[in-house]
Amino acid sequence: MKVLPLAIIGTVIGVVISVLLIVTRTLPVRASEQAANIDYLYIFFLAFSGIIFAIVTLFLLVAVYRFRARPNDQREGKNVHGITWLEILWTAIPFVIVLACGIGGWYVLAKDDVYAAGQKDGQKIHIVGYQFGWKFDYLNADIALMEQDELVVPVGEPIAFDLTSNDVMHAFWVPAWRFQMSTLPTQTNYASVTPSKIGTYDVVCAYLCGVGHTGMNSAVEGSIIPKVRVVSAADFETWVAERKAEAEQADQTTTAEAA
Amino acid sequence: MTTALKPNLARCVWTSALFAVIAMLVAASVRQILGMDPVMQWSTLVTVAYIFGAVGFVVGIGGFDYWWPWIIGKDIDPHDHSQHGAYSWRDYFKFNTDHKVIGVQYIVFTFMMFLVGGMFAEIFRSELASPGRQLLSDEQYNALISQHGTIMIFVFMVPVFAGIGNYVIPLMIGAPDMAFPRVNAVSFWLLPIAGFTLLSSFAFGSFDTGWTGYPTLSEQSPFGGTLFQIGVIIAGSSSIATAVNFLVTIVAMRAPGMTLFRMPLLVWANLATSALVVAATPFVAGAMFMAMFDREMGTNFFTIAGGGSAIAYQHIFWFYSHPAVYIMVLPGFGIISEVIATHSRKPVFGYRAVAFSSAGIAVLGFSVWAHHMFASGMASWLRVPIMVSTLLIAIPTGIKIFSWLGTLWDGVVRLTTANLFALGFIVAFTIGGLSGVMLAVVPFDVSITNSYFIVAHFHYVLFGGSILTIFAGFYHWFPKVTGRMYNEKLGRWHFWVTFIALNLTFFPMHYQGLMGMPRRVADYAPEFGWSNTLITIASFILAAGTLIFVYNMIHSARHGKPAGANPWGGLTLEWMLSSPPPVFNFPVTPRVIGGPYRFGEEGARHAIIPEAQPAETEKVSA
Repeated sequence: MKVLPLAIIGTVIGVVISVLLIVTRTLPVRASEQAANIDYLYIFFLAFSGIIFAIVTLFLLVAVYRFRARPNDQREGKNVHGITWLEILWTAIPFVIVLACGIGGWYVLAKDDVYAAGQKDGQKIHIVGYQFGWKFDYLNADIALMEQDELVVPVGEPIAFDLTSNDVMHAFWVPAWRFQMSTLPTQTNYASVTPSKIGTYDVVCAYLCGVGHTGMNSAVEGSIIPKVRVVSAADFETWVAERKAEAEQADQTTTAEAA
Repeated sequence: MTTALKPNLARCVWTSALFAVIAMLVAASVRQILGMDPVMQWSTLVTVAYIFGAVGFVVGIGGFDYWWPWIIGKDIDPHDHSQHGAYSWRDYFKFNTDHKVIGVQYIVFTFMMFLVGGMFAEIFRSELASPGRQLLSDEQYNALISQHGTIMIFVFMVPVFAGIGNYVIPLMIGAPDMAFPRVNAVSFWLLPIAGFTLLSSFAFGSFDTGWTGYPTLSEQSPFGGTLFQIGVIIAGSSSIATAVNFLVTIVAMRAPGMTLFRMPLLVWANLATSALVVAATPFVAGAMFMAMFDREMGTNFFTIAGGGSAIAYQHIFWFYSHPAVYIMVLPGFGIISEVIATHSRKPVFGYRAVAFSSAGIAVLGFSVWAHHMFASGMASWLRVPIMVSTLLIAIPTGIKIFSWLGTLWDGVVRLTTANLFALGFIVAFTIGGLSGVMLAVVPFDVSITNSYFIVAHFHYVLFGGSILTIFAGFYHWFPKVTGRMYNEKLGRWHFWVTFIALNLTFFPMHYQGLMGMPRRVADYAPEFGWSNTLITIASFILAAGTLIFVYNMIHSARHGKPAGANPWGGLTLEWMLSSPPPVFNFPVTPRVIGGPYRFGEEGARHAIIPEAQPAETEKVSA
């Protein structure tokens, strides 16, 4: 059997595997503007991964079958120590593939660098991770939520987060946004995301943070962590107004009590 | 001399205790003099007891029985071989300077640790079998996952390759032993102490930080966290000493004619690995010392209150722990080259490319550590360079995979168990490599890091990669070590059960991670119920497969068919000796006359062992 037809068959099988992997869509709902590019990267990865896997496995299986030893086979293999052009080829092709990955990754990173400090406009939200929950402060709207209050954000508006932690390392992860950032004590991290779809999405602590880590995931049954709620701009205004009114009322109550 | 004074395990009991007690007394006295309160701070005392108890153990087993008289200037016999070679099973429980005995000690001990680590995995997989909480408390769960990772990495995967290398490398290069046989013995005997330290931490609340032990979480661990740090430091010391030994042995003790490009590829792989270990392991030891000082001595390297930096630990830790990934797989690549060439009767395709790619991986391995930290908020300029270097590592790795396929092509492929494991490795490692390329790309990585996708990736690399190569190596050299053949039929069962179960166990984890299941959790969203049930069942099958292996090895070592010197028709030097090889290896220094894989070449030989001259024989046996 010639090598070239086998490579073509491998490619065809690989394309089928890749297409199957891509259409089965093992990705959560896509709810941020940044998510699209990340998903395209993933589809590109699947495309070449399926082909490489199929070619490697097919060549392996064919070689094992075609060159199998018979019982009491005393033959020796062909005394070939290498074929230079082939070795150059299989160095060059992976190089091109990883180059494409690098350029793709770099492009996505440059286009929406969600991890750069100093986001210009949109909501600024301060996140503090603690054992075991999150606390959110809205810097533009001047609202400080209580611990374990839900995060509410407007759709279509960029949100700049700055994240830190009170105690140990956590990681603020919203799979639907394809968005994760660690929160570390003694350091502020920056990240931004633009929610693109109204709805509620799970908030997950991705980094082991102690005995409450399992429960620090709104998807787990019995967790007290609220999901993030993405609402329309109008609803968000209403929500902000309500929170402010609540805060004033609370202030008055405290003042009254003090008096 | 009574038994309690001779170098043996019985003497270890009292020397360890003596050293521990003296250290505790000194520590308590220092606290008394400095006016520290309380004087009997138990955590401090236990810490010094463990560290100096370890030294006492090495003294007890006989690590200094030769060195101490030399240090103080007494007459010693440099040709004293009384501790060399195994003449009964008891010699395997002693301080032994024979690299073959040490190799077996390493392999048996680390494999027992593999069973322990695997058992931990089965326990927490049982908890994960269905949504909700059934079996373990959060503390127990976190302790088990942390122990699983730590045991597997520090006292199984890294040292088991040192064991295989210990047995095989001096034989392969035609040397009588390792360069420093006593250092070699000490580095082995440090390992049981490391294992004991890690496992005994269960008595002190264990540790719950994962194998990475990040501060500031590690500052909250029970006292077991300190024992984790001590255990890793001890295992690391063992690893460094062995690596220095390998480097000197490979550089300085090759038989005449064994040029660099006549070295078997396993030797190349271990040369690259040892260079990595020597350069990288001190970093993890440093990180562990600093974290331990923070816990036990109130320093402020990483603590928040004292103005320490939590992310500094991550950089130092990963500066070792990423190269550690290559430390755990490069020697496996070497094993695969040996196994595939020998069992497929064909020279390794592109020998030089395979050899250089090991070196390339070792060098590049130092420039990729921060890809574990893309979402940690490290310096943002660092992300793209690290992404590029991480992606580049795929190229030498790809060269190896394709070269092994090229080796199979036009060969005469014998499907022995060793070869089956090598072939299974190629398939599984390709999957792990491909997900590795994906994870190198920053935007994708940060969308998925710390999820089960990562768990899937590194289990494909470490189980589908390293462990399959370890099994391939075990089967390949089993006849050499024991002089008997293993049971092929059971071996094939072991392979197929392992290969199928490992894919059923680890492949669905990709899906879980993509869909948003974080790692290191004892419970998960109900939607992951069925996939977790499947994974748990598959992991039990995986364990059952390992039991087949254990039975096969134990039974065959005693009742297998005699193997003869060279059952596989290998050309490298170890197959020119009897099985098992003589205590001092080669009666006469062999002469290497060609490459190691000259299959299919008429009358070709890798080396010749000249006829023993009577005078030379006497010199060796003296």
